[in-house]
Amino acid sequence: MKLWKRLSYAYSVLIFLFLYAPIVVMIVYSFNAEKSRAKWGGFTLKWYRELFSNSDIMEALITTLTIALLSSIIALIIGTAAAVGIANLRKGPRKWLMNITYLPMLNADIVTGVSLLLIFSLMGIELGYVSLLLAHVTFNIPYVILSIMPKLRQLDPHLYEAAQDLGAPPVLAFFKVVLPEISPGIVTGFLLAFTMSIDDFVISFFTTGSGVSTLAIEIYSMARRGIKPEINALSAIMFLVVLALLLVINLRGGKDKKGAENRPVSVRARSSAR
Amino acid sequence: MSKELIRLKDIVMTIGDNEVLKKMNLYIRDREFLTMLGPSGCGKTTTLRIIGGFATPTAGQLLFEDRDITKVPPHKRPINTVFQKYALFTHLNVYENVAFGLRLKKVQENEVKKRVGEMLEMVNLGNYGERTVSSLSGGEQQRVAIARALVNHPRILLLDEPLGALDLKLRKEMQLELKKIQQHLGITFIYVTHDQEEALTMSDTVVVMNKGRIQQIGTPIDIYNEPKNAFVADFIGESNIIPAVMEKDYYVRFADRGFECLDAGFAPNEDVEVVVRPEDIKVVDEQKGQLRGVVESTIFKGVHYEMVIRANGFAWLVQSTKAEEVGQEVSLLITPNDIHVMRKGVAEHE
Amino acid sequence: MNNKKSQWLALPYAVYAVIFIAAPLLLIVLYSFCTDPQNGIDFTMENFVRFFDFANPMYMQVLWRSIYLAIISTIICLLLGYPMAYILSQLSPRVRGVVSVLFILPMWMNFLLRTYSWMSLLEKTGLINRLLEALSLPSLDIMYTQWAVVLGNVYNFLPFMILPIYNVLIKIDKSVVEAAQDLGAPPYRVFTRVIFPLSLGGVASGITMTFMPAVTTFVISKLLGGGQNTLIGDLIEKQFKVTGNWGFGSAMSVIIMVLILIAMNITPGDKEESAGGTLL
Repeated sequence: MKLWKRLSYAYSVLIFLFLYAPIVVMIVYSFNAEKSRAKWGGFTLKWYRELFSNSDIMEALITTLTIALLSSIIALIIGTAAAVGIANLRKGPRKWLMNITYLPMLNADIVTGVSLLLIFSLMGIELGYVSLLLAHVTFNIPYVILSIMPKLRQLDPHLYEAAQDLGAPPVLAFFKVVLPEISPGIVTGFLLAFTMSIDDFVISFFTTGSGVSTLAIEIYSMARRGIKPEINALSAIMFLVVLALLLVINLRGGKDKKGAENRPVSVRARSSAR
Repeated sequence: MSKELIRLKDIVMTIGDNEVLKKMNLYIRDREFLTMLGPSGCGKTTTLRIIGGFATPTAGQLLFEDRDITKVPPHKRPINTVFQKYALFTHLNVYENVAFGLRLKKVQENEVKKRVGEMLEMVNLGNYGERTVSSLSGGEQQRVAIARALVNHPRILLLDEPLGALDLKLRKEMQLELKKIQQHLGITFIYVTHDQEEALTMSDTVVVMNKGRIQQIGTPIDIYNEPKNAFVADFIGESNIIPAVMEKDYYVRFADRGFECLDAGFAPNEDVEVVVRPEDIKVVDEQKGQLRGVVESTIFKGVHYEMVIRANGFAWLVQSTKAEEVGQEVSLLITPNDIHVMRKGVAEHE
Repeated sequence: MNNKKSQWLALPYAVYAVIFIAAPLLLIVLYSFCTDPQNGIDFTMENFVRFFDFANPMYMQVLWRSIYLAIISTIICLLLGYPMAYILSQLSPRVRGVVSVLFILPMWMNFLLRTYSWMSLLEKTGLINRLLEALSLPSLDIMYTQWAVVLGNVYNFLPFMILPIYNVLIKIDKSVVEAAQDLGAPPYRVFTRVIFPLSLGGVASGITMTFMPAVTTFVISKLLGGGQNTLIGDLIEKQFKVTGNWGFGSAMSVIIMVLILIAMNITPGDKEESAGGTLL
């Protein structure tokens, strides 16, 4: 038993090393005064300064954040309404609509990206900020719907009736009773949509036009042109932001004790790498 | 009486800071149907898990036919378990679930077929072999779990609240069926439940537990009629438990008056507790009674009426086939036979 | 919520979904049978004939390479990932929470950044080779080879293999494991007879979730594989971004969709259960 414990510990360490090696390397190099990665030229914060004065990167950062925020909010509104509506649909149309909803999650991103490119050009929508936003809304809505649906299913069917029984008109009953009950699903859906949007590369790559780049697109073109050390600084900052975000989310999740111990870890069904 | 089969010797179990079992001693005879009864958290399931091999006691020994098996892993014990929520293998069909243990022992295929067939027959699931586990009802899953354990011919079968998830009618049926199976196969059953009626119906021996200690061991009749302490009296059936003073042998004082009784052997004027079962208190004519009281409530319970009657400073629970009106003055009679005197706060093995 | 009126709340989404999810996919299918869809619709098999040209199997070779590399990556992910998922699932719930956060942390970094970092690790003068040199070991020259692509795939998609398996493993009822022990199974038998069969659903979704991105990627092959290791994703990207041959690009997209459908149908087990885990 002891040997087994030690072996599994060693194995875990190796896997973690594999997963973290590239990230650690990036963070270390972000402080390297030497531009070439061939040697260590001493500690510097130069690349962080240059990062913030690099207008391409800063512009891409703003695009990324605004697209993520706007697309998540739009997806949240359409998706929440859709989830409530779908829950009340008859079985036939419900199944039909849910199957369409699964499509972008099951399909390869490259196909989703290409298909959106085709519809935009058919509809005469110029590739740029608007098409990018529409594309992000499209792949975000299913995540919002699928985060809320389980909460709606758990909902006591009599809750809504009870509220009406006690004198609340339907719309008020919805906002007073149903919405608070499904709000964890809404929050999850929003966070999921937001991170999906920030992380996306492939779909953005096909649906954006000249002049409008997200960070991922900017990094892609840089990585091909020749790598600038600012990217290392950017990586380090992003890592810290993600770490902070995860901590916050986990503290939030800690309050929700119910079933916390067997909470499945999320699998992002769609990776930007596809 | 048959010979001793398994013995728990000074078993202590601590989980964290919590002493779940406190020096427990218990032996179980071959072919006995023994039930461990107690509220949740009393240590009964822990005891079962120690016998099954799923938990190792902090101290003490587990002896199977005088052999120490405290550290023997579960798969090497001649003991099988029927789990609380059945724990059936969902990836296997009914037949394969039952055959699981035999396959591991590399029993020949035709022998497997024969034994699984017999077992399914016995639990009335003769042609369910090909069914998936998830297609079965709760009662049917229960039967599969029993067949799966019994097919291995264990010396002891452990049952952890196996009927808890079934509805009342099915539970009653299964109680009788389990008892029949146990007598038919002649296997020792150790049964865990918090349902006192279940314990009294099925068992040869009942072990009442509370807070990690055995409170009383005895036959169902003993336990019901002669509870050793207030906890047992209260847990088994409904009862009136009253503080009392044992003035001398065969004479006890409670509710402000003396009563003749059948108990002796206490110190003079020892503080004790008295148990009187609600069905043993009789509502009688004015002259014949010992206590006078007023009816506070009457509830119809089907077979009888259940009344609360306030008399001499106590609210007495009384059962009678005849209803009395609320507010009415009544007279109560308690005969020596119906008074059971207990020492105060005594638990066995202390 | 039995309000029949509220079902109309789904209407805006239904319209949106038809326009931006269903119609675009139909458009791909339609365009795949067109010679030059930007200038008019016709019907031709030319795009598919060109792809499956046995006289010049160039494109089929690319498709085969994509599938082959994806299969190898998936197998490596499974071999590395299953033990890791199992180890994680054996941890106490409290430790498990922390460790699984550590696990998804790298996933939340933009994958381009991570892939790019591998470029710097694998280069001829990269960190790995300098380390090997320092230990006077032979240098590792896999940059711009198929193996670099496999490494990139494994690195990026390993969590997609581990997490669904892990999610299934932690859901296995402890009493089922105890039941197997009770019936006479020693530890390794408990694993082969009960735990592994019960985790197959997770393995199946792990395989789909790793295979699918691996077979369609064009970024990893471009960054780590150089020009020589073109994959089907690269071909599609080229049709839409460089040559503008939308008909041929659509045809290859259709081929990818068919491939995904096949892959999802040949992996056994119930995928929905494990893949449906919620985030956070």
